[in-house]
Amino acid sequence: MSAPESAPETRVRREHRTPPRKPRPAPTARGFSPLRIVGMAFVWLFTALNVVILYWLVTAAFKTPIEIFNKPFHLPYTWFERGDPFRNLRYAWENAGFGNAFLVTVALVAVSSVVIVAVAAPAAYALTRLGVRGSNPMTNFFAIGMGIPFQTLVIPLFIGMADLGLTNNLFGMFLVYVALSLPFTVFLLTGFFKSLPDELEEAAAIDGASPFRTFFTVMLPLARGGLITALILNAIGLWNETLLAIVFLTDNANFTLARALFTLYGAASYQSEYGGLIAGVAIVVLPMLVMYILLARRIITGLTLGAGK
Amino acid sequence: MATVTFDGTTRYYAGNPTPAVDTLDLEVADGEFLVLVGPSGCGKSTTLRMLAGLEGIDGGAIRIGERDVTNLPPKERDIAMVFQNYALYPHMTVADNIGFHLKIAKMPKEERVKRVREAAALLDLEQYLERKPAKLSGGQRQRVAMGRAIVRRPQVFCMDEPLSNLDAKLRVQTRTQIASLQRRLGVTTIYVTHDQTEAMTMGDRVAVLRDGILQQCDTPIGLFSRPANVFVAGFIGSPGMNLIPAAVSGESATVGGMSIPLTPAQRAALTSDRVVVGIRPEGWSIGSSGVSAVVEVVEELGSDQYLYCSADIPHVEVAESAEEREAPHAFTVRAPGMSGWHRGDKLALTPQAGAVHFFDAATGDRLPD
Repeated sequence: MSAPESAPETRVRREHRTPPRKPRPAPTARGFSPLRIVGMAFVWLFTALNVVILYWLVTAAFKTPIEIFNKPFHLPYTWFERGDPFRNLRYAWENAGFGNAFLVTVALVAVSSVVIVAVAAPAAYALTRLGVRGSNPMTNFFAIGMGIPFQTLVIPLFIGMADLGLTNNLFGMFLVYVALSLPFTVFLLTGFFKSLPDELEEAAAIDGASPFRTFFTVMLPLARGGLITALILNAIGLWNETLLAIVFLTDNANFTLARALFTLYGAASYQSEYGGLIAGVAIVVLPMLVMYILLARRIITGLTLGAGK
Repeated sequence: MATVTFDGTTRYYAGNPTPAVDTLDLEVADGEFLVLVGPSGCGKSTTLRMLAGLEGIDGGAIRIGERDVTNLPPKERDIAMVFQNYALYPHMTVADNIGFHLKIAKMPKEERVKRVREAAALLDLEQYLERKPAKLSGGQRQRVAMGRAIVRRPQVFCMDEPLSNLDAKLRVQTRTQIASLQRRLGVTTIYVTHDQTEAMTMGDRVAVLRDGILQQCDTPIGLFSRPANVFVAGFIGSPGMNLIPAAVSGESATVGGMSIPLTPAQRAALTSDRVVVGIRPEGWSIGSSGVSAVVEVVEELGSDQYLYCSADIPHVEVAESAEEREAPHAFTVRAPGMSGWHRGDKLALTPQAGAVHFFDAATGDRLPD
């Protein structure tokens, strides 16, 4: 068959075809394997469970204790009928001292997270990039730090901090948070810096940049995704941190949200104010949930970036 | 502008007892375009990186002009480098990429902007100055990398396979652009490539390396017409030279029943009674008598036709790795384009006068003419 003969035929066929609504998947991706079905079922079940819990938490924050126990999955109505739907939230905010705790927590979490990343980033850069002697054992040392549960350190830490007069002190709390978060953050960021190409550093060296300048003007902007991930993960972790706050903070004025919630728990269960207690939980949990939803994509790409490439 | 001198330069890599570059002696003249070429792992990139200061030097020295730069950091060598993957700073605009060195060198902003504009104009990049590298095509990125080098007006350009990420057509265009740009600027240039066509078309001189050892450094014509040994003979030229081992008896070598005479000087230089006869594909005449061969594959290029033939004679493989080796045919013969040869045709081949190269089979070295 010669080319001129076949040309009109193709033209006719082109006019009559309609594009598929969805392009066909590759043959390998088609069909259901048992693993896929089990996996999908598990993921959906897990998601459903979490959605139910979230639904229960949010609705219970607007319910009376009777409603919570008798009609756990109904929508709240008593407080709405009485024309005071936010009564539980008001109770929690007023009784737990959340106003002050909120400010304390925001400041403590923000300063700690920024300082953690500011210390961990140069450390991770030096460990991965500068060819420092013994950098591999040192990186492993940080990884070991990640493997030690901080709960085992609480008592020695408390004694040490008490000797320094830094218990019941937000600066002391800040030091503890930074120190305990460093292993994970350094480890996360070493993965990040490792994934950056060598040529950029070499190009910077030939352009005449000092290691210091290379770090700040070339490598740090490239690692921005990793730094933001580290910042967010630390912020979420510290926001929710309760045990250390209970151990180290004794004065109401220094309470973080999680610590204040713990006090509210005692008071509210004594008064059977379960609606108010759950409203308190919601106040602590929801800001982080919103932040996570907004930033989830960023966190996930950040966590896996070091692994690929 | 300056000369570049490698003086017994040697580089070892950890865990490998044989050097990656072994006592390299090489003089590059002021303003010269020198191409380092060789198969992968031959030490050509290492040589360039030693010159750039990105690689330590374990023995010998490197001088730029009269200056011994062996132990100087890259920024004090007054060199610029174009990387294989360009190594553009992805978070900076094209203008910032090109001007980064000038900014570090604390050049006043006005002059810096002027220099960047000049470089951009030279490379046809003016309308892209505010873009980030991610928004550029491969060819444009390559030009930005060039711009970053030329804006510095260095003594030496180091180029590490700068064209290998471009598609074939763009590579041919950019090849001539780089060569003409280099001649216009007159900056001494060391250019690394594994592509012998690039080497032959761009370089004033070409240095062929193998296993860290310099095989030959000569003009492209010199390399092509008088290869110093079997390796260079097989590496330079595409398709490669036909290399046929042969026994010497009396005054001539015997190839497929045909005897080719050796000069007295060649016979005197021979260390054994075996030679390798080298004949390029274009060095054969197809006639009625001579070495008989059967056409296995016909490669029609329009202007030329390459006939890959089998014959009942042994042949020498030069390249070790499978991807560098050409099809396992005894002979490659060039015929005029559209000659009408077909698979299975029988040929009788005789070498043309002056087209025969002789190499010592034991040492691989070229025998004197």
